[in-house]
This record gives sequence, C-alpha cells and structure tokens, in this order.
Amino acid sequence: MTGPGPALDGPLHFDAVVIGAGTAGMTAAIRLAQSGARVCVVAKGVGSTHLAAGTIDVLGRIDGEERVTEPGAALERLIASRPDHPYALLGSGVVADSLSWFFETAAASSPRGYEYVGGLERNMLLPTAVGALRPSTLVPITMAAGEASALHRAAIVGTHALRDFHPSLCAANLREAGIEARPVFLELELERADMSALGIARRFDDPAWRALFCAQLSPALRSEDHVGLPAMLGLRDPHAALADLERRLGRRVFEIPTLPPSVPGMRLYEILRRALRSAGGRLVIGAEVVAAERHGERIAAVATRAAGRESHYAAPWFVLASGGLASGGIELDSSWRTSERVLGLPLRGVPDAGEPRFVPDFFAEQPLGRVGVAVDPQLRAEGAENVVVAGAALPGQAPWREGCGEGVALASGYRAAQVIVRESGAGAPAGARAT
Amino acid sequence: MSDLIDMIEHGSLRGSLDHCVKCTICETACPVSNATPLFPGPKYAGPQSERYRVAGEPSVDASVDYCSGCGICSQVCPQGVKIAEINARARDALKREHGVPLRDRIITRPTWLGRIGTPVAPIANLALNLRPARILAEKALGVHRDAPAPRFAGRRFSTWARARGRERRADRATAPGAGPPDHRGLPRRVVYFHGCGTEFYEPWEGEKVVEVLEHNGFQVTVPRQGCCGLPLQSSGLFDDARRTVLRLARSLSAPLRDDADAIIVGNATSCTLMLKREGREILGLEDDPDLRLVSRRTYDICELLLALHDRGELRTDFRPIREIVAYHAPCQQQGHGIGKPALDLLALIPGLEVREMNARCCGIAGTYGLKAEKHGISMAVGRDLFDQVLASGAPTVACDSETCRWQIAHGTGRRSVHPIDFLHRAYGLDDAGA
Amino acid sequence: MSTLSTDVLVIGGGATGVGVAWDAALRGLDVVLVDRHDLAQGTSGRFHGLLHSGGRYAVKDPQAARECVAENRILRRVAADCIEDTGGLFVTTPWDDPGYADRFAAGCAETGVRCEEVQPSQALRGEPRLNPRISRAFRVPDASIDVWKTVWAMSHGAQQRGARILPYHEVVTIDRSGDVVGGAVARDARSGDELRIEARVTVNATGAWAGRVAQMAGIEGVRVLPGRGIMIAMNHRLVNTVVNRCQMPTDGDIIVPIRTVSVIGTTDQHTDDPDDHTVPQEEVDRMLDEGERLVPGFRRARALRVWTGVRPLFEDAKADSTATRDVTRAHALLDHEQRDGVRGLLTITGGKLTTYRLMAQETVDAVCRQLGESRPCRTETEPLPGSESGEHYRLGERLARKEAELRGEQLICECELVPRSKLERAIAQTGSTDLDDIRRQLRLGMGPCQGGFCTYRATGILHERDGLRALEADASLLAFLQERWKGVWPVLYGDQLRQARLDEWIFQGVLGVERLPTAPETAGAGGASGAGGASGAGGASGLAPREAP
Repeated sequence: MTGPGPALDGPLHFDAVVIGAGTAGMTAAIRLAQSGARVCVVAKGVGSTHLAAGTIDVLGRIDGEERVTEPGAALERLIASRPDHPYALLGSGVVADSLSWFFETAAASSPRGYEYVGGLERNMLLPTAVGALRPSTLVPITMAAGEASALHRAAIVGTHALRDFHPSLCAANLREAGIEARPVFLELELERADMSALGIARRFDDPAWRALFCAQLSPALRSEDHVGLPAMLGLRDPHAALADLERRLGRRVFEIPTLPPSVPGMRLYEILRRALRSAGGRLVIGAEVVAAERHGERIAAVATRAAGRESHYAAPWFVLASGGLASGGIELDSSWRTSERVLGLPLRGVPDAGEPRFVPDFFAEQPLGRVGVAVDPQLRAEGAENVVVAGAALPGQAPWREGCGEGVALASGYRAAQVIVRESGAGAPAGARAT
Repeated sequence: MSDLIDMIEHGSLRGSLDHCVKCTICETACPVSNATPLFPGPKYAGPQSERYRVAGEPSVDASVDYCSGCGICSQVCPQGVKIAEINARARDALKREHGVPLRDRIITRPTWLGRIGTPVAPIANLALNLRPARILAEKALGVHRDAPAPRFAGRRFSTWARARGRERRADRATAPGAGPPDHRGLPRRVVYFHGCGTEFYEPWEGEKVVEVLEHNGFQVTVPRQGCCGLPLQSSGLFDDARRTVLRLARSLSAPLRDDADAIIVGNATSCTLMLKREGREILGLEDDPDLRLVSRRTYDICELLLALHDRGELRTDFRPIREIVAYHAPCQQQGHGIGKPALDLLALIPGLEVREMNARCCGIAGTYGLKAEKHGISMAVGRDLFDQVLASGAPTVACDSETCRWQIAHGTGRRSVHPIDFLHRAYGLDDAGA
Repeated sequence: MSTLSTDVLVIGGGATGVGVAWDAALRGLDVVLVDRHDLAQGTSGRFHGLLHSGGRYAVKDPQAARECVAENRILRRVAADCIEDTGGLFVTTPWDDPGYADRFAAGCAETGVRCEEVQPSQALRGEPRLNPRISRAFRVPDASIDVWKTVWAMSHGAQQRGARILPYHEVVTIDRSGDVVGGAVARDARSGDELRIEARVTVNATGAWAGRVAQMAGIEGVRVLPGRGIMIAMNHRLVNTVVNRCQMPTDGDIIVPIRTVSVIGTTDQHTDDPDDHTVPQEEVDRMLDEGERLVPGFRRARALRVWTGVRPLFEDAKADSTATRDVTRAHALLDHEQRDGVRGLLTITGGKLTTYRLMAQETVDAVCRQLGESRPCRTETEPLPGSESGEHYRLGERLARKEAELRGEQLICECELVPRSKLERAIAQTGSTDLDDIRRQLRLGMGPCQGGFCTYRATGILHERDGLRALEADASLLAFLQERWKGVWPVLYGDQLRQARLDEWIFQGVLGVERLPTAPETAGAGGASGAGGASGAGGASGLAPREAP
C-alpha cells in the first residue's frame, strides 16, 4: 500500500470484503448481506457466470463412475474417497442447505417464472450443443424439457446466422444416444454476420420477433414433440419467451447451452446481482485487487486499482473467491512458479519439482489441475486467519471433469458466509446497516 | 512527446492484448456493437485486430471509428485487457492518416463554444433549436439535426463562484465553517473542478455542489479552469487533447501544492475520469507531474460524499422526498472503479424510491451522438435505457454526467438531473434560496 | 491395384519436393508427387519462417550466404505474395562477442549480403521493444516467408499444368529391377488402397527421411543426420523486423515476425529419429532466456505453442560430427547412377528453405540429363500463382478483407480471421475431414485461443457439408483438440494457461465432448436413463497420433 494519502483518502470500512464476482463470491456476499453485514464485492471484471452453461452442476462424475445419476448419494462416496476434495471439507449437509438457499434467493430475484428446477436426488441429463448428454443438478426452467429420459422425438433448431450452434452435429450425436433428433435450419435475417446467441437473445425479448420466428419454424416441424434451441430465449423475461414459444409451436421447447457468452449464465449473474443489491451489498466491478495490507496472520485491507489511484477496502473478514487457474486467481509463470495472485497465499496441489504439471493427453487429468489455496476445515486460508476461501480457488477439485464447479462455488460461498457470521459473533455483525 | 515514448507506451497497451482469452464478455457489455453492425465489437476491434496492426502501416479498419469510447469493455474484462485504450489508439492512428473533419474540431471544444455562446445565449439557443439552422448545421458540418443540444445558460458558473467566494471570505471573518473539521482540526478544503457543462450550460448544478459541500463543512476553492480535453481525445485529436488536459492540470494542481491534504472534487464524471486516468493512460501522459498529482487527488462528488458517510462524517439531516427517481450510472462513472456511490447516497434520503436502471449506456458518449453519421446509432444504443426509464414511472432521472442527462431528456422527455440535486433538496438547501 | 505412369515421381511433399514438381511441370514434364502425410507437414512446415538475407551465414559459410543472396532476390520476385518484407536486423547485445560485428560486416561485403550499419537508437526507434543495451545494429534484407502458402501455390501451379499431387500416399515399396528404379508403390492412408506409379525418374525429396527411402531402393549409406530444433510462437508481433543476434549462429538467437505471431528459434540437438518431437523443458527455458535478452519482458509475454522441426543435415563422409550445427547446411544432390550404379533415382536432401528453388532447379536439371532431354528451368522468372502482381503480403490483409465484408462474412476462427466461405471452400477442395489439414490451409485454430472457439464451429460445418456420420465428425473434433494440445502443454504458463483452462471449460464443462459416443473415456454409461444408453462402440481412429512412433 502507498503511504498515508490526503486525509480524505482513508480506506472504506466494511464488515466483509469479497474478492471476485463469480458464483462463489456473489453467494458469499449475498448471504453476508442478508445476515446484516456491510459487505462489498470487488472484482477485476464480471465473473465466471458469463462463461458457464448457467446450470448448477453439483457432481457429474467421480472415480469409477462415468456418469453420476444420484448426486446426493454420490457426494457421500466422493467425500469418503477424496478427503482433500472441497466437498469433503464442506460436508453434504452444507451442499444441500446451499441449494435450498439458492432456490429461495433465485426465486426472489429472478425475472418472473424463471426458476431453477432439480435436486440432489437425481441429475438431469441435458443435451449440449455438440449433442452429448451432460449431467446437471439444477437447471433453469428453460432447459428442463431437454431432459434426455423424456426426450424422444426432437427438432434441433438453428440458423446459419449463428456460428455458435450446429444443429446437424447436435442432432446426429443425439441420434447416436437413441434420441430421434432432426436438425432444422431457419433462414434468419440478422443485421450482422458474427452474431452471438446473446445478440439473438435480445431479439427474443420482443414478442413480435418471437411471432415471426415461430411463423417460420412451425411449417418446418413434423412429428417432433420437442424443440431444442440454442440458449437464446431472451434476457428480460425468458420464461415468458419460453411459454410463448411453447404455445405457438404446440410443443415442449428447451434451450441448449453453447459457446460463451452464455445467455443463461448472464441471467444467473443478473439474479445474483439483484439479490446482492436488494440485500444491501455493494458491488465494484473493474476493480482489481493489486495490494494487501497485512498484519501478521491477518489481512487488514486490500487495495484495488481504481481510476487514477488505489482504493482501499478495510474489513475484519475477507472472502477470497478469485477463482483458480482459469481466472488467473492462481497463476503459473514462465519460471514455472505457481502462486496465488491476489494475496500471495500458500497453495496446495502443486506437483513437486521435476514432476509433470501437464501430460500429453488432452483428455487425461492434468497434474496441476487440482491446485488451490491451502485452507483449514473452516475454509480459512493457511497463514491468513481472516481470509475465507470459496469457489474455484479451493484445492482438490476438477471442476469440469467432475462436473462440480458451480456446486462447489455455491456451497463454499454459502459456507464462507456462515463461517464469518459465526466467528464474528452470532447475529448481525457490528456496524450492521439499518435500512 | 517523442515518437519513442509514444511507441513504448503504445507497446504496453498493446501488450495487454496477451491477456485476452476471447471469452467475449466485453462484447456482451458493449452498448454500440449491440446496437449497430457498423461497429464489429470491442474484442474484434481491440485485442483481435491489434494483432494485425503494424506501426507505420496504413490503417485498414475504419470501423473502429464507430467505437464510442465509453470504456465499458475494459471495466467488465475479467482478464485485464485494456480494450478501450487499444481502440482509442487505433482511432487516433486512423485520424492521423485520414484527417479530422471540421465538425469534430468545433464540437470538441466546449470552452470555445461556451465563450462564444454565453453572451448571446438567447440567440444561440434559438439557433440551436431552430429547425432550419439545425438542418444547415447538419449539411454544412455533419452535426445531426436531432441531436440533443444543450441550452446556454446565459451566465457562467465561475462568475457566481467568484461572487460567492467574496461573500464567504467576508462571512468567515465572523463565523467559522459549519461542519466538522478535518483530522488536523482545520476546515476541510476542496478544490472544485466544475467542467464546461457546469460553466456554460448548467451552472445551477455547480451551485448545488458547492452548497452541499459547504453544508458539510468544506471550504470550496474554485480556480480558473478550462476544458479537460476529453471531447478532443474521444474524437481522436490526441495532440490537441494533450495540450488541453495539461493546461487544466497546471491550474488545478497549484492549490494542491499549497495544501497536502486538499483534494479536487468534480461533478462531471467523465471529465473527472479524464483527470484521474484517461489523460495518463490513453494520451500517454504518465510522466507529467502535475497531471499525476491531480489524478491521485481527484474525486467524483458522489464518491467523496459516500466515503464521508462510510466514516460517519456526512451530515444526514435529510428531509424526506416522496418521489420515485430512476438512476442511471453513466459508462464513464463506471470507469472510475468505485461502484455506484450515487445509488447508496440516494438511498439515504427518506421516502425516496430509487429505481436502478439496468441498461448499459444512454448512447451519447460525449460528442458521439451529435455526429450526423452516428446519431441514429446513439439513439439505438439508448433505446433500452429510455424504455426502462419510461417503464419505471419515475418523473426524474438522476445521472452523473451532463451529456448523458441531455441525451436521456432528449430520448425520454423526462427531466434529468445530477444526483446532487436530490441531496441538495433533502438538505433543505433549496429553501435557503441561495 | 491401379497404376499411374509418369515422367517424374517425386517422393516427399515438402518445399523441395513440391518445388521439384513445380519446376518439372513448368518444363513440360509429367509429374506425380506423393507424401505420406499432407504437404509441408514435415520439416518445411516446422520452421520459423525466415527468408534468409544470407547474413546468418556471412561469416561461417560464405557459399551458403551467396546462395541465400541470390535466392532471396529471386523469391521476392516470384513468390512475392508469400513473403512479408519485414527486413532484418543483426544486433550486438551485451552477451555477444563485440568483435563479431566487424567480421559480420566484412563477411556481408564479401558475400554480397546487402548490409547497412545503423545507430542503435535508430534501430530502437523502429523496434522499441528491443533491448536498449544493444551496441551495434545492421540492417539486412531478411524477410518472413509463409511456407504453406508457398507450397500450396506451387502445388496448384503444378496441378494446373497437369501434375498429380497425392498427399496421404505413403511409399511402401520402391520398384527396383536390377539396376533400374522404375517407380514406387504407395498406399492411400485414407482408403488403404495401393497405387503403383511407374516413372522414368524417381526423385527422393524426403529430407531427413531420405536415408530411409534410399534404403527402400536398396541403397545404403545415404546418411542424413536429423538435427532437432524447437521453436516457440509468441502471441503477437513483439517485433516487426526479423531480429538476429550479431554472433556466430547459436540457440535462440533469432526472432522472426511471421503472420500474426513472432517465432523464436531455435535449438539444435542431434536425434536418431526424424520423427522425434520431444520438447525438453531445458530447451524451452533456454529459448525464453535468450528471448528475454533480445526483448526485455519476453518471459512475461504470451507463448502460444512450441514445435520441433528436424533439419536434414547431409553428412559428408569426410566430416563426422555430432554437433549438428557444424555439419554443412549446404544441400546434396545424389545421382544414384553415378554414386551407386542405380539408374532412375535421385536423392535431394540437406539445404534450407530459402534455397528450395535452387535445389529443385538442380534436381530437375539432373532429371533432364537422365531423360536425355534439354528443358531450361523457368522458376527463376515464372511467378507462383497468386504472386503475379509482385506485391508482398502485408499483415493487415486479412483485416482489410474482413473490413470490406464486415457485415457479410461470418468469421469462424476469430483469432486468425478465417471466414466461413474460406473454410467451406477448403473443405470442398481438400476433401479432407481432418481439421488439421484445413488448419494448414487457413491457419484455423492457430491464434491465441488455439481452437477453443473455432473447433466446435468448424466441426459443425464439416459435419453438415460433408454429410459425415456423427462418429466421424466427433473423431475429427477430438483429434483436433488433441493435436492443438500437443503443442500447447510443453510451454503452458501465464496467459496461455488461462486460455487452456477456458478451452477445457468450453469442451468439458459446456459441450461435454468427453461424453460423446466416440470420446476416449466413454465406458458404458451405467443406464442413467432410458435414453442415455450411449453406444459404446469404440474403435474411433481419430485419436491415434498421426506421427507413427
């Protein structure tokens, strides 16, 4: 940190500062704000939500089980076999609690009718854009009709104007999986050649566009009882768009997630953002943490890069939800040193010197893949007792291989808030804001 | 500035393209590319195209000129790519090559326009709102006939401030400042940077800023000041912009050198951002000591007031205001990296129902929406915001930037004010009849 | 087995082999060319892209320098569109022998390399990222050359003149009866069919593999010493001029700006196996350290990928050495009639990309001698297809083209600005379902995201256009991912690591490609649901590494 600035340039004080605006950070922040804490989220940019499918995948694969059918039960087996996994630290109870909390919170901050469905009893198997079937635990209502067990005859609809979705490939792979799927191409006149699903999603907010779309699609449909579309059914009121399409087409309609930017992911971010705002939390985007003030085992404040100078945020508690290797929260430099970038915390899961970090097989598990910030069972960082770690920064997980990224983010964010609330004295922390 | 420094500076901005992982988050947030296909988007025009640009070779992508320079892309980028800055450099290179239209040379000089317009305000305002005159201006200059034109106030803020200063000096002989003193027990001092919008078009906003600050115990100094150079920079006139911002930095830094604790505060959020960051980063003026000093000590008015509140030092003797207000955070305000302090301040006012608008941009982007070829785009960009404002049922829109306010008023027919208006009213300062 | 009959059979589709085919076709000879893989997939496609001015050989090998001077001039004319006129610099850094610079200048003067000493400050103005501590700087006419473009152009030109170019045809036997070679039998790698090619003369242009091919004809003692070197592509143009260290050529002493990237090269390790593509970490570290000396901050810049090339260094029986850099870089043309008493076979090996045309000329001259015909060489004056205007390639070309079609053209590979129309045309023209073949044509997937976004798009288009079965398309997708990863993981750190994780996220987290019916790890799915029973049909061949061990 720089020396004392002008008198007005002191730090801003909060009960907790959350670093990172992905699912984990937002969950921790909302929970904290809901319990009365003054909380501020600082983030370099918008987080992981925009890149993910918009589903909450709790557990899709564990050792020896290619495809997890019952995530709740599999969770127990995982916890038993991998004591270093974040789920083992969290316990299955926290996972279940965090999902219930998410249902409630999402329901309160979602656009009307846009709800998440599913549960720990059974994973849903949903088609991906390439036509593989991916297990998810909670999915937005707009994807639910794609559940493979109920999918018999489906039209997979796309347009050449959208380069990020290929109905013929998707349908062909679904046929390999025993689903009678047929590609349907629409000729849509769009104003640009490089249109993303997001660009089309903005059109789907408009009922007139939906009517035109359906008028073109209807005649192309045959005996299919389901219609699969790339995930682009609007941002503002996706449930209305879904209902509108189902009514006009007379068939069940479902969204299929595709390449980033993820429309369902953006909806999820918006839900979390709204929930944070209505709970009274603050959010500062474009504010990368560049320094920390440390007193022994405690972090006193962090400094973010704001325009022209650093802004300082002081708090008795910090939640580190800055992600793992994908976000750059943890990095490997050209001298092969691995480090936690925000606070310089010790890591776990770094291969020993001389051991491979990566292996030649793209599909094999990469040795560096499970790296994370070393934590105690309370998720507190080693060497920084007032820093609680959540999300992809936690060691021991393989978010995509195991299909557990969002589940870990949600449960650990939830847990981080719980730890802080409990440790700082039951009930509302000091300085709670009266609203 | 030597070519060498320019290229090194350029190199470091350019170097940030290495951080891009093509995630496209910037494109989800870009207001312009979501409204027109003429701009291919920040990822495309920025880190992607930059790999094809060689210093000294001719520019081949004129579409980068459709970037409005709002800067949202750089803010939302989780990877640390200086997208908007890369684009600004590419626009500068384009302008160097193809020249700058006369129109841009005129509308990018608000001080000059203001000095001409103010003494003849009634005539100038008439002309600005007279259809035939506007058609003529569009044909001759390329300033769109429907673009929002501010009205000259006919008086200058600085005139009021000088009179006020004399008054206060007289007062202080008898009564010390009203509010709590600073950490040294001295009256708090701020240097007020009002910008051209306040000076020529909305002097009342500046008057309110001063009164709210004084209500909180500040001694407000208003040095002589000119334009910050932002309009020049956003139109790609970098050399002129450098001269302009440095001139301003000279005059604002003088009082800071006298008082190590003094700060600058401004209500023109894009102009304060120019002082804080853009002048240094985009114009490559990192090494100028005046600008560096000014940059570190400049605060947006809402940023300052909220920081005071967080420390328990803001007066909260607010009277209720039973109204609905829509709040729009302008792009440049978001560029400060301080969240949305106005939202938290407005929430302090009892009875006031604040509706946060969730749209990216009003579309004006400084002078972008004035240009004939871009006005349509600017209105399309703003459509989402306009619709949300109209749906909110709020009679008034609070917004931190003056050009955005003019655009919002133009696009919605609603009144648009700086958030300070509500604080001023809630403090009861309106009634004081200053 | 079907049979073709021709004047000249060329074995090997690198720059030399295709150069021979182009030269021979221009002289009116009938040509068939075969390669076990795609064109320019061996040594030619695995170098840094330098068109030598001759400067690198000015002191050490004056003969090679003179050849480079002449060929540089010719290629700038006939292959203009494949060459970017970057210019080159030789700079003396604090780590270089300060005495070399004067020897360098003298060597250039003697060998005809156009060389001009400039003030270091002037060099730095042009290349501001260069180490400011350089003490001497020389400008030379180095340039960068796009080998693939060169090879495709020659191949198309030859085909227009009747040549038959057959990639993915591996020679399985060379037809030798008595002391005469009469052609070869090649196997089509895709169909498995064998094809007999009868030829009046057979040219072995297989570079580092030339000894093996000669052996197939029963000829021993053609010793080509493979020298393996690694090169690392950096994400963007750290320099816009070819930058060489002004010293005796050594490891990591050159950065070549080519297309959108800059390539640092190279190491030099003897290997026994020309198909050896190992990338030892100490070589990567050495490259990065040397890069840092030329361009401070190099280690913080983004490395995209690493690859190895194997130089064919013809071993002169008289000079035996294991340090391959000291073996001559000169090329060798072996007339096996004179050397071994075997008619109808020539071997051309050694040399360097810059002199491929000269090598081809000498080879076809020898072919004509064997045929007893007099046909003058025309490659010195005949421009390659696409280079007729004589204008050099500029980096901004693709950006300019997209700008002209901003609203009409859909980009599939955003990093390398590859539009859909080009992709569809390449799929139709090559008839290939291998995305890696398409990549070499178009640079698909060669930018920062290394296929993260375009692989799915390209597979979708491939599937739709070619009417592939799902399993074939899936195999293409998975093979391309594996192929991209091959060059990424040994040099994975910093920004590229974030990219690799995002790509993994896209393919595993969003698309779930590991759950495709053909995916490597798919076992029986355990009957998750009625419809979920994936056909466990294994046998997807797409993942087998193409380079045979």
